[in-house]
Amino acid sequence: MKWSQFFSTSIGKKLLVGATGFFLCTFLIVHLAGNFSLMKDDGGQAFNLYADFMGHNLLIQALAWGLKAVIVIHAFLAIQLTIRNQKARPVKYAVKPGNKTSSWFSRQMAIMGSILLIFIVIHLANFWWKMHYGGIPTSVYDGKKVGDLYTVVWKAFGKVELVALYVVGMIALAFHLVHGFKSSMQTFGFNHPKYNGMINFIGLWIFGILIPALFALIPVYIYFNKI
Amino acid sequence: MKLTLKVWRQKNVQDKGRFENYEVSDVSKDMSFLELFDVLNERLINEGKEPIAFDHDCREGICGACSMYINGRAHGPWEQTTTCQLHMRAYNDGDTIVVEPWRAAAFPVIKDLTVDRSAFDRIIQAGGYISVNTGNAVDANAIPIEKHDADMAFAAAACIGCGACVAACKNSSAMLFTSAKVSQLALLPQGHPERTSRAEDMVMQMDKEGFGSCTNTGACEAECPKGISISNIARMNREFFSAGFTS
Repeated sequence: MKWSQFFSTSIGKKLLVGATGFFLCTFLIVHLAGNFSLMKDDGGQAFNLYADFMGHNLLIQALAWGLKAVIVIHAFLAIQLTIRNQKARPVKYAVKPGNKTSSWFSRQMAIMGSILLIFIVIHLANFWWKMHYGGIPTSVYDGKKVGDLYTVVWKAFGKVELVALYVVGMIALAFHLVHGFKSSMQTFGFNHPKYNGMINFIGLWIFGILIPALFALIPVYIYFNKI
Repeated sequence: MKLTLKVWRQKNVQDKGRFENYEVSDVSKDMSFLELFDVLNERLINEGKEPIAFDHDCREGICGACSMYINGRAHGPWEQTTTCQLHMRAYNDGDTIVVEPWRAAAFPVIKDLTVDRSAFDRIIQAGGYISVNTGNAVDANAIPIEKHDADMAFAAAACIGCGACVAACKNSSAMLFTSAKVSQLALLPQGHPERTSRAEDMVMQMDKEGFGSCTNTGACEAECPKGISISNIARMNREFFSAGFTS
């Protein structure tokens, strides 16, 4: 079987969606760890130096572009599979089973994913684009001049509408990952009674609740402690 | 009991189809769901009307012929039950029951509640078989098989190919059916000669038939009358990966 054949099958495509999704899950942990420096009471030194390092380290920059490619691949293949799935049932049922046979979260992956994609575009325009191409104020630490992204972020989250948008984005992330994490494991073929409990626990509590809640906490914290 | 049935009527593949309402009185709680349709059909025939076409064969819950999507559930509301084993005590006097055929592009409606499930046969033909030498039958216990594997293979082999998994899946995916057939043979030594080509060919045929892809909602497992586990889908994925990565 050629690679082109393998990746044209439904399971081959699903493997790519699962693998890119899993990669994005691991990225969330790194992103969240960096975000915590926003809440450090040092006038933004830790966060700005961290942002400068992330923005100028060649390896990180290569990974950052790879990350964007991963998001595009994940979304593109998921849309392709969703269209195929819609076509597989041209005449819909008059009566649907609701939550009796499957969880609500498992049926909303495409909708939550679409909300997330819009959120990611807005999020990149808000900060990443401004940092790289928008011209932001600078700060000097120990003679080193770096972009003051800290002030940009704190000012942005002073607006209630942006805080609300980020909270909604994180709710969509939570709903996407409640099913997404454990679904990727099943697609990889990891299904074993000894480990299923652990996979479900990590999927629900770590990726479905803890990580999105901590992400959402930061803009809320900034809003209530704004400069 | 008096019941209202809202049944999908469709003359043939080309016909657009529509729902028709039927009032059925004197329904016994001891009747099976198919017997309810027998009674209704006899009345329709006596009235000179076209009876409702539906699939059935053994009426013992083991053949997989009966289908029917009843009030949003494949084979009705009872767990691990085929339509022929669903009895009218599941319903109350005055209930309205909506009955639809399996809905999938790969299962075209032939007439009323009867659908063409030959796509499943073609998936089996693509690789759901084993090579056996001709000659005397080999003693049943000649090849030692670990009890756990034998049990898992047997559980997968319980699949009766009814198509409830496709009907229940929001994507009309045939992954549970195909994975049960792949698993049953992958778990036993007799299935090993064609193990690689089987996983590839059956998955490719499944895609070719126009079934959707799996989004791991678990609706198939919830509706399967034989309780086939979605752990078989994970196994088929593993089989397909090891075949695709190495062949």
